[in-house]
Amino acid sequence: MPTDEPGRTTVPPREPRDHRGGQPGTAQRAEPRVNRREFLSRVGLGAAAATAITAPPRRARAQTPPSYPDWIPASPKPAKRGGTLTRASAWDPPVLDPRLTNSVGLFQIASLVCNRLIRYPFADEASGTTDLTLKGDLAESWSGSSDQRVWTFKLRPGVKWHNVPPLNGREFVAADVKSCYEAYAKEGVQAFTFQEIEGIETPDKHTVRIHLKSPNVMFPQNLGEAVAVVFPREVLEEDGDLKKRMIGTGPYVLKEHTRKVRAVLSRNPDYFDKGRPYIDEYTILSTPDAATRTAAFRTGQSDIHWVASLADVDTVRKTNPQAVIEEYKFLQTPFGLALAQDKPPFNDVRVRRAISMAVDRQKHVDTIYEGHGILGWGIPYIYFQDQRPTAAQLGPWWQHKPAEAKKLLAEAGHPNGFQTTLFYYEYFPQMTSQVQLVQQDLKKHLNIDIKITKLDYTTYYGRYAEGKWDGMAWGFKTGYAVSLDEQTYQYMHSKSTKNYFRFSDPVVDELCTKLRQTPDRAEQRAITKKIFDREHDQVLRMWMPYDAGFLIWQPHMRNIGALAMRRNDGYGASTLARAWIDK
Amino acid sequence: MYKYILRRLFLAIPVLVLSSLIVFSLMRVMPGDALTALMAESGNVSAKDLKKLRGDLGLDLPYYEQYLIWVKQMVTLDPGYSIFTNEPIAVALKKAIPVTVELAVLAMILGLVIAIPIGVISATRQDKPSDYAGRLVAISGLSLPDFWLGTLVITFAAIWFGWIPKLGYVSFWESPWQNLQQFLLPAAVLGYRLAAATMRMTRSTVLEVLREDYVRTAWAKGLGERIIVYKHALKNALIPVITLVGGQLGTLLAGTVIVETIFALPGMGRLTVEAILFRDYPVVQTNVMLVAAALVLLNLVVDLTYAWLDPRIRYQ
Repeated sequence: MPTDEPGRTTVPPREPRDHRGGQPGTAQRAEPRVNRREFLSRVGLGAAAATAITAPPRRARAQTPPSYPDWIPASPKPAKRGGTLTRASAWDPPVLDPRLTNSVGLFQIASLVCNRLIRYPFADEASGTTDLTLKGDLAESWSGSSDQRVWTFKLRPGVKWHNVPPLNGREFVAADVKSCYEAYAKEGVQAFTFQEIEGIETPDKHTVRIHLKSPNVMFPQNLGEAVAVVFPREVLEEDGDLKKRMIGTGPYVLKEHTRKVRAVLSRNPDYFDKGRPYIDEYTILSTPDAATRTAAFRTGQSDIHWVASLADVDTVRKTNPQAVIEEYKFLQTPFGLALAQDKPPFNDVRVRRAISMAVDRQKHVDTIYEGHGILGWGIPYIYFQDQRPTAAQLGPWWQHKPAEAKKLLAEAGHPNGFQTTLFYYEYFPQMTSQVQLVQQDLKKHLNIDIKITKLDYTTYYGRYAEGKWDGMAWGFKTGYAVSLDEQTYQYMHSKSTKNYFRFSDPVVDELCTKLRQTPDRAEQRAITKKIFDREHDQVLRMWMPYDAGFLIWQPHMRNIGALAMRRNDGYGASTLARAWIDK
Repeated sequence: MYKYILRRLFLAIPVLVLSSLIVFSLMRVMPGDALTALMAESGNVSAKDLKKLRGDLGLDLPYYEQYLIWVKQMVTLDPGYSIFTNEPIAVALKKAIPVTVELAVLAMILGLVIAIPIGVISATRQDKPSDYAGRLVAISGLSLPDFWLGTLVITFAAIWFGWIPKLGYVSFWESPWQNLQQFLLPAAVLGYRLAAATMRMTRSTVLEVLREDYVRTAWAKGLGERIIVYKHALKNALIPVITLVGGQLGTLLAGTVIVETIFALPGMGRLTVEAILFRDYPVVQTNVMLVAAALVLLNLVVDLTYAWLDPRIRYQ
């Protein structure tokens, strides 16, 4: 071994080695070498080319949007029995207990498993999307006393509970209604509606007589709401609650419910509406992701689909050109700007009017909702007129007039604007854009600085429902309500626990109370119009534009038209008892 | 070795106690509770009724009492009931855990099957096109968020192939084929991300080990490349890789809510996140403690694996 010094050994340096094997110096077949810069530039060019090829064309703004029908009439063909209806649903029921929640996740199921005393027309009965004729469900007929305080319901004979324990198919009787409504009145989310009841008599097993604390000509409508399902007392007595089992008298029996997976409803062979339902089984698949629901519809795993925008409709039609599409017409807006009106500065009507005039609502419709949406109002217009309100009919404070708004705000003592806060929960993605547009408009035109806070579901609802917040909130009203009483008295009276917008207007209180005592339809429309005008004049609730979206069905579905305020994949699911599959 | 294991298990106790205090406190600090989540949207509930319902559920007890009740439940392995659904938490976990474990194991298998060979090839073909390709795969796996990848996969599977896995989870025992179909895509999405980090670590450690003297000796003795790399070098290169994989497995077992949401799988991720959103205290607390215990055990297993891989490592 070579040495440099005595006792010291020199180790020859390592030679660079090709790790593929062989000894140093051995001739190896040369591999092409690509340096890093070349490699990255080739990859970058390839990626840019791929993006350019695959990027979809953008829809030009301000084009006239394509139109789709807002009503799909019933099929003239005789209905076929059989088949399975499947739907990928965004909602999972939080609980099965209708006393504890009004969630659409529950009532997409409960509307088919249970009945109510009264209902609205089904798709094959309705004359159009806005047909609100009350029909008997568990009740065959009903009548009110002259003072509208006593309502008598004649129950349909021969109705049976589902043939599962503990009911085992026994007959449905008047005592069942009494126990159910008393349970609703005792505690829970239905209490406000059912605490109107002073007492319930059951003179015979098919007659229910309800005494109200005060007159209410619209009381039967409240019993027709999707949430007013009748549940059996035995389940409540045995389990102590209704969280574990759902049993009813409805067209479908809840065969399986696995949380976050699926609910399976199978046809009730003893249903009182003989020959119906037509479809054997309805499976609701819990599918929280929107892209997955679309993929499920595209691949035929889901028969009903809802999309928010025209762009979404276009993308689905590319792969499913035969799909049936209905524009889901909304008669009112469920969301708007809520102001803490019980304290300054929002207790001043001039401030509220100025804010309303500073917001460019048409911009929301044109940009966020692609030209498809309504400007925003609170009471369903069909209760006071036949046509959708025009922008002018919404009143002077709903028009976008920034200069006048600035002047009005100055008159109210805020020439330089002010600072405030706004909290919201992102119910859908477009809502964030709307909140930001409002923030921009108020800053630009009125120098009102809004600090926005986005909250999670529970924090938002807790703060909003508690009603102790300051500043602004992106408010809402509950989504199930059809009845005029719900839309006026229950949402707008100062004493109502559902008056989330926290306003107290004696004129509205008086009109709502009077409406409850007015049986004549023409007079009801006139009073409702007064409430509508008062709300807009005083800017009690600042409704914002909204688009109810589109319903899409597989082409083999029949009798599937969705009625206004009763989307048939949600609160209006009871109409699926008349749907059938044509294949 | 046994004394080492016992000592590690004993030291886990303060870790678990601290975890329990943290999760208990954080849940109480968050505004709102389960009743707010359930009923607030509906309005219509008076403050008096809410107070009564809170009392019925024990939510009005002092915090220390609530904590002690819960600790007792944990120690007796009886986690109680969900406030929201009134379902026994043990039943909910019995449904969710198999989903998460299956997803984690499949993702891990796919990830390792991809990562180890590519990492080795990258290391042995350093600076060649195959090395660059492997590194590109790794970088993209680290850069692409799994929610984006998952959405792309489900969307383009439907558009290009007219097929997505059948929705509505079925267990392996009910229908193995349908179950595997449901898990293949989400496991691939997760596995791709895992493979990315693992591949890079494998490449780096194999490169390092290939420069060691004993590997040079192996070459000098005339051993084949396959034996040198896979028998001699890889085993020593795997120690850091196992540390990484152990951490990734822990993350997977905690639940991957985004992938579970996209592919509609009812795993621990969705269960826990939903419970947090709705302030279902018992469910969140139980899940967090379960994951904490699993991570403690997993770290112990990883440490013991070192001793198996490297005979020089001995635990006293």
